[in-house]
Amino acid sequence: MTTTLRKALLGAVFATALGAGAADAATIKVGVIAPFSGPFAMFGQTFKEGIAVYQAVHGKTVGADTVEFVFKDLDQANPAQSKALAQELIVKEKVSFLAGFAFTPDAMAVAPLIDEANIPAVIFNAATSAITEKSPRFVRSSFTLWQNTVPLANHVAKLGVKKAITAVSDYGPGIDGEAAFKATFEKAGGAVVDTIRMPLKSTDFAPFMQRIKDSGAEAVYAFLPAGPTTLAFAKAFADNGLKEKGIQFFGPGDITQEPDLPALGDAVLGMTTSFHYSQAHESAANKSFLAKYKELFGSSDNATFTSVGAYDGVHLIYTMLAKTGGKSDGLKAVEAVKGLSWESPRGPVTIDPDSRHIRQTIYLRTVERVNGKLQNTEKDAFPAQPDFGYKLGK
Amino acid sequence: MSATMTDAPPTAPTATDPSAPRLASPRRDLSWTAAPLVGLLGLAGFWVFPDDLGLMTRIAAAALYVLSLDLVLGYCGIATLGQAAMFGTGAYAAGIAAVHLVNDPLILLAIGGVAGGAIALATGALILHARGLTLLMLTIAVTQIVQEVANKARDWTGGSDGLSGIDPAPVFGLFRFDMVGRTSYLFALAVLVVGMLVARRIVRSPFGLACRGVKEDPVRVAALGGSPRAYLVTMYAVAGMFAGVAGALTAVSSGIVGLDSVSFSWSAEALVMLVLGGTGRLYGAVIGTVAFMAAHHILAATDPFHWMAFIGLFLMGVVLFLPGGIAAGLERLRDRLTGTRNGSAPGGRA
Repeated sequence: MTTTLRKALLGAVFATALGAGAADAATIKVGVIAPFSGPFAMFGQTFKEGIAVYQAVHGKTVGADTVEFVFKDLDQANPAQSKALAQELIVKEKVSFLAGFAFTPDAMAVAPLIDEANIPAVIFNAATSAITEKSPRFVRSSFTLWQNTVPLANHVAKLGVKKAITAVSDYGPGIDGEAAFKATFEKAGGAVVDTIRMPLKSTDFAPFMQRIKDSGAEAVYAFLPAGPTTLAFAKAFADNGLKEKGIQFFGPGDITQEPDLPALGDAVLGMTTSFHYSQAHESAANKSFLAKYKELFGSSDNATFTSVGAYDGVHLIYTMLAKTGGKSDGLKAVEAVKGLSWESPRGPVTIDPDSRHIRQTIYLRTVERVNGKLQNTEKDAFPAQPDFGYKLGK
Repeated sequence: MSATMTDAPPTAPTATDPSAPRLASPRRDLSWTAAPLVGLLGLAGFWVFPDDLGLMTRIAAAALYVLSLDLVLGYCGIATLGQAAMFGTGAYAAGIAAVHLVNDPLILLAIGGVAGGAIALATGALILHARGLTLLMLTIAVTQIVQEVANKARDWTGGSDGLSGIDPAPVFGLFRFDMVGRTSYLFALAVLVVGMLVARRIVRSPFGLACRGVKEDPVRVAALGGSPRAYLVTMYAVAGMFAGVAGALTAVSSGIVGLDSVSFSWSAEALVMLVLGGTGRLYGAVIGTVAFMAAHHILAATDPFHWMAFIGLFLMGVVLFLPGGIAAGLERLRDRLTGTRNGSAPGGRA
């Protein structure tokens, strides 16, 4: 008897929680969970800016509904808090969408919640392939390490490199990158002579450089999270004479993201990376995106892949709203954007109907100094790359 | 061991008598009300803030964790920045068990407790010969090692992606862990209250009094035939069990375990919350946790972009104006309000 009472009570709560979202001509709330303070605040700041740019261009209303963003700060990867914040957003703020998520565990933590509440969650960044497998209500507008690495590894093989070495930070994305590079490069006929995993917080890279030198590899695939470690790594690469020895450097574009370029300076000049967005991308969509960015925030120097991830993420949310008429049914909303194609500032993109991950062009870029400013100049493009890591397991 | 235990009661009162008024209030009868009071206030919170159960669940689990730190710091004087090692071990043990073996929440808590106790016993036996700053460094080292092991053992722990897929069965087979968090919260609150009762029983037992004795004067305890190190290691392991249960509770209620649960910053945060509430009281740990996490939540919700500055000011305010923590401040306030009756008590002991 108590259980029936409980069920009735719960049912009532759910009905109110879900019903509120379906109200007509109302405010549709989107809860954004991201780091807005602390060392990773750049994620939250660029998300916020990307959202603001989208709303400035496309307005704040979809049909009769006003779209409002509610920001929740999660200063570092902390899945328990991520879940509590999502719970609060769903139950208290009655949001119809969740969005944001800089780190993988934070996104994973909300999977059971969005399934129970039946609301979609749009991932602006978190890049481990496995995330979208955890719930059919996840849609991702960013990238995965597999997506960026596979074309790069093929490119390295095509250059005639026979022996390569990987050096990655010892955490999820780094290991993803290592696995993707190894699998692709060996399939293309090359050999990975050694795989180095470096501690995430390491700043002394001299011993790793020695290992790279001694390995006899012609090229190194490196991945480190954006920030000071990358700077130290790039410096060590130059200082230890690897460049002179003719060892070529390749990596995903996180390491030369735009806000870090001034700090990285000449150490990264000439570095070849593969990525889905460069500020220097030549297209009308990107030009107007950057112009709006500059108009709103005074400068577009910080516009980077996370801003575009958020921009496109909001596009997905707007489309879901428009196609479902604001009715809160997470699965139907996700269904509505499956296969959706549009022109993003990064280039043409499509939501893959199976993985619900964004299919996009991956560009091969080189860091160059243009008009006194460092930029990632796109040299080559690999169109319509899917998430190669989807359903590959660990 | 049993001989020292029976020796302990006569030594303990002499050792703790001067400190008793500081550790417990002069009217020490009142301290038993702490656990029921937490239960009642927690239940009140359940009705007053029905939309914040997710946060309150985290507070309850964190309070148990800070309580475990109070057992070692407040009652044994062990300066540690390694409590997260036990918390995280408990969380991961419960999480791994939930993914591969069982999913009954109570069994998971037990697994977390055993795991936390075991790692505390193993590391405590190794490092507790040191004191002061050396010990502090060793506890940090233990946390780093545990974190690195968790990071490396990706097949088991998920590494930096976190260990997900923890889907606990309904409590007692009846109450499902739902989205709103009712079950989680009441479950966590019940565990916290039971934890407080057990902790109180432990610190008031002959063993607990002996630990206080070690804190006050280890040489004297040794001279009286007790083994200070044995007491410390035992209490360290007991506290490890508490931390492990708290970790398991977090794993069960959030359904995921991340590397943050074995991080240095989580250890340090426990210390901040404990000092904020007041050490050596047990309920001070709960007060500190509630105050810190509630302030954190409210400030972060009001201004998600600059709240850290305000929480810094809040902490400085407490340290400046409430030395000894919030609990000590409350006690001084109570003493002042009931001036005459209590005025005689401190006078009596002076």
